[in-house]
Amino acid sequence: MPAETHVERGPLGPDDVLAMIRERLAEILEIDEDGITREASFADDLGADSLALIELVEVLEEDIGERTVGFSFDDEDLAELLTVGDAVDYVMARLAANG
Amino acid sequence: MTSERITIAVAAMGGDNAPGEIVVGALATAAELEVGVRLYGREEEVLAHVPGGVVPDGVVVVDCREVVAMDDEPAAAVRRMKDASVVRCAQAVRDGEAAAMISAGNTGAAMAAALLRIGRIPGIARPAIAVPVPVPGHHPQVLIDAGATVDAAPEWLVQFARMGRVYAKARWDIDAPTIGLLSNGEEEGKGDQLRKTVFDLLRKEAGFVGNVEGSDLMQPGRADVFVTDGFTGNVALKSIESALRSLATIVFTTLESTDEAREASKVVLPLLLGAAEAYDPDLTGGAVLLGVKGVCVISHGSSMAPAVVSAARVAIECVRAGVVQQLRETVTDAG
Repeated sequence: MPAETHVERGPLGPDDVLAMIRERLAEILEIDEDGITREASFADDLGADSLALIELVEVLEEDIGERTVGFSFDDEDLAELLTVGDAVDYVMARLAANG
Repeated sequence: MTSERITIAVAAMGGDNAPGEIVVGALATAAELEVGVRLYGREEEVLAHVPGGVVPDGVVVVDCREVVAMDDEPAAAVRRMKDASVVRCAQAVRDGEAAAMISAGNTGAAMAAALLRIGRIPGIARPAIAVPVPVPGHHPQVLIDAGATVDAAPEWLVQFARMGRVYAKARWDIDAPTIGLLSNGEEEGKGDQLRKTVFDLLRKEAGFVGNVEGSDLMQPGRADVFVTDGFTGNVALKSIESALRSLATIVFTTLESTDEAREASKVVLPLLLGAAEAYDPDLTGGAVLLGVKGVCVISHGSSMAPAVVSAARVAIECVRAGVVQQLRETVTDAG
């Protein structure tokens, strides 16, 4: 199911990706979106374990993949994603690399 | 309740005795319990344990090539190994090809597969493993969580309590299951900060009887559902299992210790073995992962064929009792 906040089909910007991550993470962790800031650490601030992070990665691949065919996270890179901002930057870099 | 034929997905490659014992157990499940079985694993290895290589009616062997090892990191393995038997089982439940899944392999992988492929029930923050703890002359107690969520927030334990209550009611038809919070003393105020916070939250929950101790496990009367975090629950469960094994060793060694004891054992041993069946993990059924949108039964790692049949019985009971639907309605409605 696509994220409801993104009905238009223009290019994704960092704010769109942040909104998408906040919405999805709030669903996964059953927490309020307000507590999910760009600076928040997945583990220390949000209590997200490795399973929750992979849930997030898979749902983002599905959401973003509907707009950018072939979008995916590289499993080798997941350990480097420590904060919400890391994930936003990573998605933007992958989108840019996809052209 | 439904009398429709149920299909169970079995992960053939998971467990210390896989695939042989798992395949034998799956075939027995189809024959004895009159359910359909979808057996996921490397086809040639599965068929090697099917008598004559002829798959009986009601059983379908689904070839899948990958195997999650006991020491693989569960979530990463499930993401990477899309053709692992446990992952394919979870997909079968998600896609409606099976009503329930059974795995005796890596517990974390079964949980990750269920969570990532079947999905969480909306509103439930974390899944929990519910294990029946045998009680002499009484229905079993439910120990929840026995290892799914090691670091738990207080609110999650409240959900575990609600899930445990739904499960106890569905499995053993207990009208109003009681809930105890596993702690280091029964008096209010005992426990670490997590326990103290959860105690306050549980005051408002139906059936809450206060703190219970490890010594209340396997004893009737104190509580039907023992709630704890996955770390403590796993330690408690393994301690019980080890103590029971030691007790059995003491009894059987004693019965072999003298001529008189050996003579006595001719009478006593059959009785003891009969009584011990109630405590045999192969016969008491598997643990159930509660909180996902399908029935997932996790059998212990050293499962033999009878354990698969027992796990299937548990799965069938859960499907017929509509445990998942009850969890959706009861747990999430409670807020």
